[in-house]
Amino acid sequence: MGKAAHSSSSSIDSSEHPALSSASSSLYHQSKTKRCLSTDLRLGLTLSSSTSLPVHDALSNSGSNSREQPSDWPPLKPLLRNTLAEKGNNRQRPTFFVKVYMEGVPIGRKLDLFAHHGYDGLITTLAHMFRTNILYPAMDGVHFDKDHVLTYEDKEGDWMMVGDVPWEMFLTTVKRLKITGADGC
Amino acid sequence: MTYFPEEVVEHMFDFLSSHRDRNAVSLVCKSWYRLERWSRQRVFVGNCYAMSPERLIARFPRIKALTLKGKPHFADFNLVPHDWGGFVHPWIEAMAKSCPVLEELRLKRMVVSDESLELLSRSFPNFKSLVLVSCEGFTTDGLAAVAANCRVLRELDLQEIEVEDRRGQWLGCFPDSCTTLVSLNFSCLKGEVNLGALERLVARCPNLKSLRLNRTVPLETLYKILLRAPQLVDLGTGSYVHEPNSEHYVKLTNAVLNCKSVRSLSGFLDVAPRCLPAIYPICLNLTSLNLSYAPGIQGSELIKLIRHCRNLHRLWILDCIGDKGLGVVASTCKELQELRVFPFDPYGGGNAAVTEEGLVAISMGCPKLHSLLYFCHQMTNSALITVANNCPNFTRFRLCILDPKKPDPATFQPLDEGFGAIVRSCKGLRRLSLSGLLTDQVFLYIGMYAERLEMLSIAFAGDSDKGMLYVLNGCKNLRKLEIRDSPFGNVALLTDVGKYETMRSLWMSSCDVTLGGCKTLAKKMPRLNVEIINEKEENYSDGQKVEKMYVYRTLDGPRRDAPDFVWTL
Repeated sequence: MGKAAHSSSSSIDSSEHPALSSASSSLYHQSKTKRCLSTDLRLGLTLSSSTSLPVHDALSNSGSNSREQPSDWPPLKPLLRNTLAEKGNNRQRPTFFVKVYMEGVPIGRKLDLFAHHGYDGLITTLAHMFRTNILYPAMDGVHFDKDHVLTYEDKEGDWMMVGDVPWEMFLTTVKRLKITGADGC
Repeated sequence: MTYFPEEVVEHMFDFLSSHRDRNAVSLVCKSWYRLERWSRQRVFVGNCYAMSPERLIARFPRIKALTLKGKPHFADFNLVPHDWGGFVHPWIEAMAKSCPVLEELRLKRMVVSDESLELLSRSFPNFKSLVLVSCEGFTTDGLAAVAANCRVLRELDLQEIEVEDRRGQWLGCFPDSCTTLVSLNFSCLKGEVNLGALERLVARCPNLKSLRLNRTVPLETLYKILLRAPQLVDLGTGSYVHEPNSEHYVKLTNAVLNCKSVRSLSGFLDVAPRCLPAIYPICLNLTSLNLSYAPGIQGSELIKLIRHCRNLHRLWILDCIGDKGLGVVASTCKELQELRVFPFDPYGGGNAAVTEEGLVAISMGCPKLHSLLYFCHQMTNSALITVANNCPNFTRFRLCILDPKKPDPATFQPLDEGFGAIVRSCKGLRRLSLSGLLTDQVFLYIGMYAERLEMLSIAFAGDSDKGMLYVLNGCKNLRKLEIRDSPFGNVALLTDVGKYETMRSLWMSSCDVTLGGCKTLAKKMPRLNVEIINEKEENYSDGQKVEKMYVYRTLDGPRRDAPDFVWTL
């Protein structure tokens, strides 16, 4: 959870935000408090403002110095904490960034496909990134007109619907992504 | 009663396994006290500083199994400096001198040196079982000594430990004559082990029931081990990575089919999720599944795996399972009794993290649930009330909302009512950990309703001394109270000082108690050790708040091994 006491929107001084992870694979933080669901594109870094100030004060009172990650909260045993931190900060992990465009929006985004483990995670990430409902073949349920469909350009230059082939195979052939209107398919 | 011959009374005592029962019978009369102490074989010491080893041995001269706990619980979360204490060496020395029949030693949060392990391995010819949980201070050299010298060793179990790896061949130190192993757990070790020695060890121990490997043991070795030990009941895999079409993976698949006795599965420290189908055939037999060290299993693979495990009693997972995933758990694992959900990304705010929805789903689907540890991003009063109604059988309820002092996001109210519902409904509740925004009101409820409560953990909660007083006055069975970052001060501490002699210990850190208050407590209660941990300042005035205070009852006065920064008042 991040603390939103920053004046510049694009930089974070991590030493003042003990609750922020220094390097996490996803650059945005989801908050469940009321958020404005406009479709305006925002900067990739959206910090939750739901975290109350006491986190910082309380944690600094407990005697831990201003590291990024206080090691006494949350109450996790050191072995588990280190194991999870390793996984999160795995700097040796390769990345695979592809461009993502949404129909009607001229400015695209970039997304690390290797940061996801399957279609579920990818769709969830994109749905949050673009603030829309995205459909793909494995989903069931009612489709609305304003839903979008996720497509990708493969190595042969063809535009295909995301979700038909196994994830690993998808990774070997995808070049870029596009979110189009559902009626376009 | 005293007309029974002593042998008969002793025989009757054999049937008493519970410590409390044995404590009770020893108070009946002098002759029963005497008989009981000579026949007591298993002793549990919850605080190693509550008495000296000599005193223990004087009372129970024929101990075969000893459990010792050292540092206070909050040491698990880095709140206690490393050299605070909890040294096992004096205990091993004393036992070696006077009680060589020792067979089992179980230590939690203690400092164990290689020297201690060496002494242990040479002093007790019948030594069978060593279990170390959250201990520190030794290296693989110490393990080598245990392996080499404990001729009839049955159990070597290391949990949650950072062991310094000396690159020795500790596993190879088990002599060829060692065939008695029943349980071997080295999953927390970082270093490589001699794989050949491991395979040979497994091959010559036909009674091996529990084996937990570390990350350096590859899948190729795993299937060889499973071939040799199809009788395993508890398996912790090491590295579980391979290409699914490889020969080794196929062999693993076949080996697993033979392992019909496996009931408990853990590990997957490194994992290729596509290899998981190999274990599906045994999933129906599983009663315990621990995936808390397997961040590599996520999303649909995790769900698929869970769907195969219909008979789980215990499940430990990461919160990347999400609320929907917990819904799958709720509909699949109807026998679930214990659930632990750990935060995959403790500092970020992951998309798939869990909220109150997941917990409510679990409470609706799993009526037998009685033990919970749940890390989440938010919780509501109404969810807690629902959970309390659905699951009145909780004995352990630990909730950790990652953002301290976070209110109910739906109503912005504190979570007093929610936790109040839990304590009111769960009459058998023995352990409770609170989090979120909480006022004194929640403590009023706890004092009123939590009659069986033995351990309470409080962080960032309460408004005034009244909160702590409600608890101290109300909870008759309270044994351990640990508090951090809460506004409780001297009035709360000093109003009922006699209470602390009925408890094992009290921990308060970053609260409002002052040095003067602690001194007063120490003066009034000479049979308590009032320890102040003070790492910052040299001179401390009485009016200053103490960083950390640890109070515990003891029979043997201030300890002599306290480091500089610990003052016993």
